[in-house]
Amino acid sequence: MWIRALPKHFLRLALTIMLGGLLGATLVRLAPGFGVDERELDTRLNTQSIELLRQSHASQRNILGYYRGYLAGLFRGDLGVSTSLDRPVAELFAERLPVTLHSVGIGVAAGWLLGFLLALPAALFRWKAYEIFTAGLSGLFLSLPAAILGLGLVYAGGPASLAIALVVFPRVLQYARNILVQSAALPHVLAAHARGLHRTRVLLWHVLPNAAPLLFALAGISVSMAFGAAIPIEAICDYPGIGQLTWQAALSRDLPVLVNVTLLITVITLAANSLSDLASSAFVRQRI
Amino acid sequence: MSRRMQIVLASFCFCWLFVSTAAAQSGGELRFSIQSEPKTFDPMLADDDSSETIRYLTGGFLIRLNRQTQTLEPELATSWKVSNGGQTISFELRRNVVFSDGTPFSADDVAYTMRTLMDPNLHSPTADPFRSVEGQVKIDVKSPTAIVLQFPGPVANLEELFDSVAIVSAKSPHRDVAGLGPFVVAEHKAGSSIVLRRNPNYWKRDAAGKPLPYLDAVHLDIQQNRDLEMLRFRRGEIQLINTIAPDAFDRLAADMRSAAHDAGPSFDTEQMWFNQVASAPIPDYKKAWFRSQNFRRAVSQAINRADMCRIAFAGHAQPAAGMISPANHFWFNAKLRPEETDVPGALKRLADDGFHLDKDVLRDRDGHAVEFSIITNAGNKVRERLAVMMQDDLARIGIRLNVVTLDFPSLIDRISHSFNYEACLLGLVNVDLDPSTQMNVWLSSASNHQWNPEEKTPATPWEVEIDRLMHAQASTTDNKQRKEYFDRVQEIVADQAPFIYLVNKNALSAVSPTVRNAAPVVLRPQTYWNIDSLYLAAPDPSGRHGE
Repeated sequence: MWIRALPKHFLRLALTIMLGGLLGATLVRLAPGFGVDERELDTRLNTQSIELLRQSHASQRNILGYYRGYLAGLFRGDLGVSTSLDRPVAELFAERLPVTLHSVGIGVAAGWLLGFLLALPAALFRWKAYEIFTAGLSGLFLSLPAAILGLGLVYAGGPASLAIALVVFPRVLQYARNILVQSAALPHVLAAHARGLHRTRVLLWHVLPNAAPLLFALAGISVSMAFGAAIPIEAICDYPGIGQLTWQAALSRDLPVLVNVTLLITVITLAANSLSDLASSAFVRQRI
Repeated sequence: MSRRMQIVLASFCFCWLFVSTAAAQSGGELRFSIQSEPKTFDPMLADDDSSETIRYLTGGFLIRLNRQTQTLEPELATSWKVSNGGQTISFELRRNVVFSDGTPFSADDVAYTMRTLMDPNLHSPTADPFRSVEGQVKIDVKSPTAIVLQFPGPVANLEELFDSVAIVSAKSPHRDVAGLGPFVVAEHKAGSSIVLRRNPNYWKRDAAGKPLPYLDAVHLDIQQNRDLEMLRFRRGEIQLINTIAPDAFDRLAADMRSAAHDAGPSFDTEQMWFNQVASAPIPDYKKAWFRSQNFRRAVSQAINRADMCRIAFAGHAQPAAGMISPANHFWFNAKLRPEETDVPGALKRLADDGFHLDKDVLRDRDGHAVEFSIITNAGNKVRERLAVMMQDDLARIGIRLNVVTLDFPSLIDRISHSFNYEACLLGLVNVDLDPSTQMNVWLSSASNHQWNPEEKTPATPWEVEIDRLMHAQASTTDNKQRKEYFDRVQEIVADQAPFIYLVNKNALSAVSPTVRNAAPVVLRPQTYWNIDSLYLAAPDPSGRHGE
């Protein structure tokens, strides 16, 4: 049944990705300062060279024409050439994506580990003091912008992945705690407790299976959250990943890089959410 | 202690000192930051700071401008002669020089470099100053060590332009990496770092005959965050910072006095100007204000430059007299003085143009309250502070100034494309001594003639005169005559105030005490201009630049 729905699912994903890319490209095109080059202020350049610089962005002015050309190139495996770095975008991604995937991967894993481990006792034992502590802790870190965490890490000499973990963990802690508490309050879980089952058995057999679909959804969201946090963190920490590239591209209105980054983030977000959906539905089917 | 014992001890100390100094001079990896990824490693296409840094450290040049003495010195050319009214230059080249890969250097390489550089399809920014008129450069290789270059028209300041022309090999199979400079690119981690290794075939030697450079390597960290750069300097992770903001400089000087260097007024200027573009989308009555010499001079007179230097630059700046900094020993017009703050004088000038004060509000002859906005680039704290100080200064003559900060692309869009602005506050980075490289600012037809770019015909008689003088100075090789022409340009600019010059900021830099032979200067690259002779002392065991 779900296999038959796959083509429709993929079509919807492809359309969302293409629309996301077009929207990103349009926003960049409409941004003030698009199509200008800092080198225009270089007094050593003569008028012809400056005119040439101005002409170099001419092909990107018609956004629909540009996007059509971009998609045609994309199907040939050509992601275009960065206007600010004058290098193929595919090459830039190949250099930088592993750096970001590494820091985001470690950040998400560490954030989940920390958040989930702190959430478990809150759901299992319902100690008031511990609840206040976790609520305060998650509130504190939620109120800190990713850039501030990045800056703190810079001064402390820590890795970027730790800053990403600190962005992910309070959200995981807060949501996972709520999900687990709700799950632990279900009648059959209370009945299991009443029958004297061990806490661990109740947790593994009754609480977690009920909470799993929502936790999978949270996992999907935390991946896109981590990618979002990677941009300011990498920019502040001067970490050579996709986030730093995106920041520099935004400052220089580098349309080819920004369109590809938009597509990449859309793909990652949708892929993470789809995977969590699939995992969740597969889990539910198995239980039925 | 016996006399013999003293002699032995002294000899031991001398030997230890000699050995340790020699060892230190032979090695070490110097680390510093560049602000962005170099856009290119091709020396002919370098036009951003990072690419120019790579070119400076890896390129071999026929002539070098000594950044300290501001004079030209022979490098790969042992001598040169400019003739034919600045159209021709002949070089005698150094013998027995080889590229980093062992390929011999000859006049053919110079010919190849110039032919490639001047190819119009390459669009090399280094080539633009050589193109005074249309046409091909004639290259005559007289012998392996002699070459004559004839340009189609006279080129002002011809020999100094070769300070930016890195010679590339005509024959090397590794043309992209083979260089004649002190270092070669060894490693590049995109977005992270670039490592330059010592060129084992570098031709230069020190006075004792020891091969240069002393350093084994230069490690360039790509670091956009200036706070992080300073933090790493303090931790001893990098050894040089070329330019520092005044407040950061003072904090550094308080903790590490010997590491902070103020080389005095730099070549850079901070200035404001009014939009005088006829087609600009601003009201006509405001255009009339901005075209008035009295209005511009009154604004200039109301500004307190001394306070700007004292407060915004913490004393690390000088009031500017004009377009050329006093640091430029030859070209500065010593007759010019910075505009003195004179509020009554400013009000008198305004009254001459029909402006009057109405309850602390300045109004023009038609009753319009005088108010305008000034745009500047966001994120530059010093410049934002200058704008706020100008607000206070202009309020004293009844002018309301609104400060608008924009990111750089938006600002360029306004001043170069849409002309949708009233006044702009910006700095000009001067990297060359000679004013001929400012042709694109001062000619009325030029695109960087910011107050009114690309005029079809000069809009004012004084711009006609500036055009004439700039062309005249560019078409003679007699520097005394050129200086007279350019002095006159400076005087016209001071009188007409199309740019209102505010300050010349000081060249502030940081050099770790572990770096030996460093002598920071005002010209770029301020701290490593003598990279050949820099070396690192033995590291501090604490790993920090302690005092």
